[in-house]
This record gives sequence, structure tokens and C-alpha cells, in this order.
Amino acid sequence: MKKIYNNEENKFSEMLKVLKELPKIKAPDNFEYNLLTRIQNKNFGKTEKERPQFNWVKFLAPSAVVISAIILFFIFFPSSQENNNQILQRTKLQDKQSAVNNSTSTKNELNNQQSVPSSTNLQSNPSVLLGSNDRAARPGVRSRIYDSRSIKLDDYISGANKNQSNTNRGNIVNNGEEPSQYDGLIVSEKPDKKTLERYHAVVDSIKKAQLKADSLKKVQK
Amino acid sequence: MTELSDEDLIKEYQDNNTPEAYDILVKRYKDPLMNFVYRFVGDRDICTDVVQDTMIKFYLNKDSYRSFAKFSTWIYTIAGNLAKNELKRRRRRIIFSIDNSDDERSPQIEDKMFIAPDKAADGTIRNEIIQKALLKVKTVYREVVILRDIQDLSYEEISEITGLAIGTVKSRINRGRAQLQKLLKHIYRE
Repeated sequence: MKKIYNNEENKFSEMLKVLKELPKIKAPDNFEYNLLTRIQNKNFGKTEKERPQFNWVKFLAPSAVVISAIILFFIFFPSSQENNNQILQRTKLQDKQSAVNNSTSTKNELNNQQSVPSSTNLQSNPSVLLGSNDRAARPGVRSRIYDSRSIKLDDYISGANKNQSNTNRGNIVNNGEEPSQYDGLIVSEKPDKKTLERYHAVVDSIKKAQLKADSLKKVQK
Repeated sequence: MTELSDEDLIKEYQDNNTPEAYDILVKRYKDPLMNFVYRFVGDRDICTDVVQDTMIKFYLNKDSYRSFAKFSTWIYTIAGNLAKNELKRRRRRIIFSIDNSDDERSPQIEDKMFIAPDKAADGTIRNEIIQKALLKVKTVYREVVILRDIQDLSYEEISEITGLAIGTVKSRINRGRAQLQKLLKHIYRE
């Protein structure tokens, strides 16, 4: 190895000679004086301030913070459109309806005992049954449930719609010629016994009220 | 005190904060460092500043010197690092300067030294050409070539100064010399 480098040095011998002949640069005469002055004055700073260099880390760090803040904002503060979530609204509506039904069933029982006209009032004004804020109660606001598949409860009870042939009813699967109407994401839940009993009680009370009203009408005639 | 070795002087300065020891070390190393930094940077004013900064670093950070290393390699390392930083800064300044004139790029020695016709023959121009050629050699090669062929340091010392393996030092010296030879062919064949 040494030989190789010695040979290399021989190869460059002429140039090395030239380099060795270069004059030696010496420090200026006032070098030490200037140095001691700087030390005494504690002038240790650099003569020229360095330019701030463009740094990718310095640039990316704040931008990453800003981006993450925006993402977090969208995660924790959902937009107003998301509040119109059908499932959420539906469950809310159901909760309200059940709450109102509970109160109306007790009311109806009392009304049946006291006076009959109040039940007619209930019939003529169904919005009494539902809260004023409910979508179903508001006129003009269409329920998400496909209308052709629903039936009128009053007609069903009284048997008025017996002859009515509702072909669309329950026709969930169509033949594919027409685009099916979107009726929301309905979570199918099995009704529990208590709510069923409650609904039965409501229907029974309405039936009784109607029978009484009919009998009263006949008597009046 | 002047007879003491570098290592003894720095120890004296570290232990007893003797200003004499510091002065002697400054006197011993100011010229070799000036020569090294000048050949590396190519500007006398900048070179003076760099060597001054080196001495101030030595003054401020005397305790960072460890006795297992040679004082000369330690001080050369400081000077070399400062010189490299200076070169980087200059390069940046040239890139960002609005008027990209040639005056800024060329070493100041050209402006300061008037070459008389009679002097031109006796090697002043030649020295200048050699200096220019040195500045054209890549920084990584230039440093080791200067340390070896101008400052006469051993491969081991250069290895310590640059923090490179001896093999790397040797190969870099070789490549640097080859580059320089290409640039100086017409000079030493005359």
C-alpha cells in the first residue's frame, strides 16, 4: 500500500515541488493586537450575520399543525348538513312520538270518561297527537316513507279501505324499469311488547271513541 | 515557558488560565493557520478573520480540548471548519447577489496585487495561477492536498483533523493531486 502511494507521490513529484515552493502566507502585524482587543472588548460575535436559511422542517412543521387543526375542526364540528341525518331525525321523531303517545293515551282515557266531543277533536286535528315541531305534523312536509306503501290508519280501522286495492303496498322490489324511490335508511327493529301494547291501547281507545260518537250521532238524529 | 510543548501550554492554560500560554500558542499557530486558510479560501481578508475567529474559539472553548489529541490537529480542525463555513457563506452570497458580477467571484488577490512585468517572470504570476488552480479543486480534495503538500502534515494528522479514515485521506489526496495536475500541466513543464 505504501509503495503505491510512494509511486503516486513520484508521479506528482514535479507538481508537489511547485506546491512546496509556494510562498508562506503570514499573519498581518496587527493580528495579535486585534485579537487581544477583541478578547478585551468581548467582541466574540461574527462580523457578518448569517442569512436565515430556508428550512423545510421550519416550513412544514407549522403547515402540518394548520392542516391537522383543519382536519380536527371537520371531525369535531360537523357541518349543518350532517345534522339532517335521516336516521338521527327518525329516531328522534320516534322518541317524541312515543312520548306524546304516552301522554295522549292517558289523556284519551280521561277524555273517554269525561266527554266524547274531545275525542272528535282529536280525530279532526291529528296534529294534537304529535308535537308541533314534528315533521309529520307539519302540512306540506313529506315523510320519507314511500307514500304508496303506507296506509291510512283510520280507514284501516273502520274498514273503509277494504275494497281499495293498493298494488304498490309492500312492493319493495320493483321490476327494475323504474328507478326506485329512496326512502331513507331505516333501521329495522323488532317492536317490543310494551310499545305494541301501548299502540293497541291507543287504537282501542280511538275505536271506542268513534263508536260512542256514532251512537251519539244516531241518537241525535 | 516558550520551550514548553503545545500540549503542555494548553494544559497550563486550561489549569491555571495563564494568558502567557495562550499568547505563545497564538504566536506559534497564527502563521501556519493563515497559510492553510489562505490556500483554502483564497482571500487574505477573509483568511485573517477566519484565523482570528479560530483563536477566539480556542480562547472560549479551551476546555473542550482533550489531552489525548494533539493540539495542532485540534486547532487545525477548528480553522478548517470555520473556513468551510466561510466558503459556504460566500457561495450562498454569490447565488443570492443581485448583480452577479465577476468581481465577487474572483479572489481578491487579483485586485490587491499589481503584477509588474519584471515580477511576472520570477514566479509571482505562477504562484497566482497555482492558487487559482487550487481553488478550482473540489473542497473535499483541496483541504487534504493543502494539509499534506503545503502544510506538510502526516496522513495520521490529516486523518485526525478531517475525521476520515487514513485510506480515505490517501485516496482523496490522490484525487486532489490528479485534479490539480490537470490544471497545472502547462506550468511545471515549462
